[in-house]
Amino acid sequence: MSSKAKAASAAPAQKTPLAARIFLGACALYLLVPFLTTLVYSLFVEWTDVLPSGFTLRNYAELFTNSTFWLSIGRTLVLCLVSVAITIVLLLLAMYVVVAVNRRLGRFMQFVCMIPYALQGVILSIGIISLYTGTGTILSNRMFMLFGAYTILVLPYIYQGIRNALNAIDANMLIQAAEMLGCGRFRAYVQVVLPNIVSGILVSSLLAESIVFGDFVLANNIAGTNYQNIQVFLQANMARSSGLSSAIVVIIFVVVAAVTAIVLKLQRSSQNR
Amino acid sequence: MAYIEFKGVVKRFGDNTVLDHIDFGVEKGDLVTLLGPSGCGKSTLLRCLSGLESVTEGRIVLDGRDITDVPASKRNIGMVFQQYSLFPNMTVEQNVAFGLRMKKVPAEKIQQKVADAIAMVELTGKEKAYPASLSGGQQQRAALARSIVTEPSVLLLDEPLSAIDAKLRKALQSRIREINQELGLTSIFVTHDQDEAMVMSDVIQLFHDGRIEQAGSPVDVYTKPVSEFAASFIGSYNQLDAAVFSEVTGAMVPAGHVVAIRPETIGIQKEAPAHTDGAYVVRGTVQDSTPRGNVLRYTVKTGPACLRVDVLFRSFHMFDKGDEVYLVLPEHDCLAIPESNAA
Amino acid sequence: MADMSQASATLTVSEATLGAAREPARAASASKKPHKSKKWIGYAAFIPFLLVIIGYELLPLGQLVLDSLVGKESGTLGLENFVKVFTTPLYQQSIINSVWISAVSAIVGIIVSFLAARFAYESSPRVRNAFTMVLNMMSNFSGVPLAFAFMILMGNSGVLTILGERWGIPFLADFDLYTGEGLMVLYIYFQIPLATLLLLPAFSGIRKEWREAATILQATPFDYWFRIVIPNLMPSILGTLSVLFSNALAAYATAFAVVMNNYALLPLQITSKFKGDVQIDTATGGALAVVLIILMVVCTLVNNYFTKRASKGREVI
Repeated sequence: MSSKAKAASAAPAQKTPLAARIFLGACALYLLVPFLTTLVYSLFVEWTDVLPSGFTLRNYAELFTNSTFWLSIGRTLVLCLVSVAITIVLLLLAMYVVVAVNRRLGRFMQFVCMIPYALQGVILSIGIISLYTGTGTILSNRMFMLFGAYTILVLPYIYQGIRNALNAIDANMLIQAAEMLGCGRFRAYVQVVLPNIVSGILVSSLLAESIVFGDFVLANNIAGTNYQNIQVFLQANMARSSGLSSAIVVIIFVVVAAVTAIVLKLQRSSQNR
Repeated sequence: MAYIEFKGVVKRFGDNTVLDHIDFGVEKGDLVTLLGPSGCGKSTLLRCLSGLESVTEGRIVLDGRDITDVPASKRNIGMVFQQYSLFPNMTVEQNVAFGLRMKKVPAEKIQQKVADAIAMVELTGKEKAYPASLSGGQQQRAALARSIVTEPSVLLLDEPLSAIDAKLRKALQSRIREINQELGLTSIFVTHDQDEAMVMSDVIQLFHDGRIEQAGSPVDVYTKPVSEFAASFIGSYNQLDAAVFSEVTGAMVPAGHVVAIRPETIGIQKEAPAHTDGAYVVRGTVQDSTPRGNVLRYTVKTGPACLRVDVLFRSFHMFDKGDEVYLVLPEHDCLAIPESNAA
Repeated sequence: MADMSQASATLTVSEATLGAAREPARAASASKKPHKSKKWIGYAAFIPFLLVIIGYELLPLGQLVLDSLVGKESGTLGLENFVKVFTTPLYQQSIINSVWISAVSAIVGIIVSFLAARFAYESSPRVRNAFTMVLNMMSNFSGVPLAFAFMILMGNSGVLTILGERWGIPFLADFDLYTGEGLMVLYIYFQIPLATLLLLPAFSGIRKEWREAATILQATPFDYWFRIVIPNLMPSILGTLSVLFSNALAAYATAFAVVMNNYALLPLQITSKFKGDVQIDTATGGALAVVLIILMVVCTLVNNYFTKRASKGREVI
């Protein structure tokens, strides 16, 4: 952020020109309107005129007493936390090998970790379905497929977070220094390297949480109605009740926006340090 | 038998031979400098001794024990890296204590030793500071404390001062030298800076292309370069081809040799000297003069050669461009050294 | 220093695997053994990652390729499925629609976001931060929630649709969200915040000295923008364009929520072949998936190319 502020002071104009104000204002408004409409819609009984009528919290009350809603939230949280945790552990272990044993694996790792970013959810989900459905093994269990898919989906984000954090501290040098002080390599990785990349991992895993939270494709394609997450729950309710659905949309957005705000805040404070 | 012995150490990275049969010993308590241009293999040898790098061939013996295959963490060798090797999540104190914790030293003892080591590098008062809040010089002091607190059998320093500005550097050079002498701690110091090597060392090992070009005390290495490379790397020797030297002075030089003359050994004066025993006297024309700190450097053209001549910078007795002068070249300072292809 | 240690790591591995066999008589080879076994313990930490990658990324991809190559009728290996995909009107249309929607939304997105980034760059830090905040927040507003919001806004009984009828604005009143044009509006919407966030950093690479130098050399604002700024930003612009294109190409949730499977679009058609609302047809689905994969890979390569060029350019500056 500090570098941004510097760039700002070097930017041609300190005061915002009128044209910029108008254009940016229009853009922001355009981006905000769909959500604001949904927010208003969720708070009123009727909206068939210019202004909505009949303020109510009924939609939210109904939603919060709906056990299916809470179940889907619970499932979503389980998916978020478990799959992100699995990915973090896998990557930290693998990164140890790259940092302390064989640097050449780094290239391979970067390649496979960026594949999900290039291919995204549709290809990933149908590939997994096609491979495991009907094999009759434990792997054809929908939950196995779903957690596997999410683990892969968040791979690029967490990988980049960890790699950037490792690069920032020159992990290799720290391990060597610890080694010279009588510390084994793996122990050095755990005691000296990991404490220094915790904040980097935290930021990237929060980002990953918001991605799992916002996912519809994997959940719908792999688990569908068997294990409804919040997005699938929303989709199933859309045709039935638009009042209720609008409340769900607002809640999803607020949660994701809150996580995003935390991520931005953490990034900003780490840049300031 | 020396305290540390390198016996025919070879290191290859693929087809690239970085160390080519290194053989030498280091006496206990000495401060030995590995000096050479970047890429000459001096850092690699240090890392082989530390155990961070394995050797391709040869053995390394420390205090009578073959440590070639002992892992780095078991060698009890201290090492200070170029920079940024402090653990950023730990305070100075915690960094210094790290090695003692690894050795499972009791906590009370750790506290005392850490305080002593920090005092020794003159960082008292900074115990609770994190590395990010320290200057480069302070960070290297802390790194130094961290590597001596474990009482290692050898201290390795891999260009630890290269990122530090000139003034602080001088102070740290003498601090390292003092610690070496106070503790009798055998130390090996890698640098590409010949002045640094001169100031600090008991022995200089001059590296060139993975081999040791010359070894000896700073005075020996400085005054008696054994090769063209040594002459060009140490000091700023004038180097004249045999033929040119003969033409200028009339003396004969064995074939295949060049003559190296240090600029400060050459006398420069207006009048022809009264007696010229043991010296060659040649006439020349001053081409240029440049002040270099407390030394004034003249470039004097004499026949086919151009010689650099350094004299103390005094305000009287100065020559101007175009002045005719006499140069006095003491015979014993005109060193005939074998020609080499490199340099 | 770093290079050297990298080389050493490389070397030790090749030695661990080859060394003993290559030079059995070497003095040091016997003593290398403890190192060798240690190295293997080191590699163990890589295994869980490798297993998951193979099981849930590489094998599924391989399975799709295999699906695409096993002919639906013949059951033999060949390009039969691809011939079918490229000759059946529905699938042809899916590919065309996907590419069209992605291309148009990407181009419109990049134009709008270029202007937005430009204005943000000229604004005070306060305005720029506020705008960036909006972008960050709204870039998360996609998929099913976005589709739902647009239904409320512009669907059959949407707020804007009703207002359009009331006030006689045919564009709003007759707007049909459940068609290609409707999807286009949605896609453009989600491209804008993403594109602007990607372009903003590139603008901070513009030096104020350029404008000063250009002014002294008597360049007009037009010259400044079209001869200096845009050519310098071109790698970033093209790189962003390819990200937008692939982003739209792979988008599924938004389209599915609006039109279900009733529109010829690659991701929708592919998914329907595997999810089997009608019947499972992995052969055709696999071939369509491979077409999508190829398009995505091309995008990624294009993006990598331009990202590299962009960063190179910055080094030169």
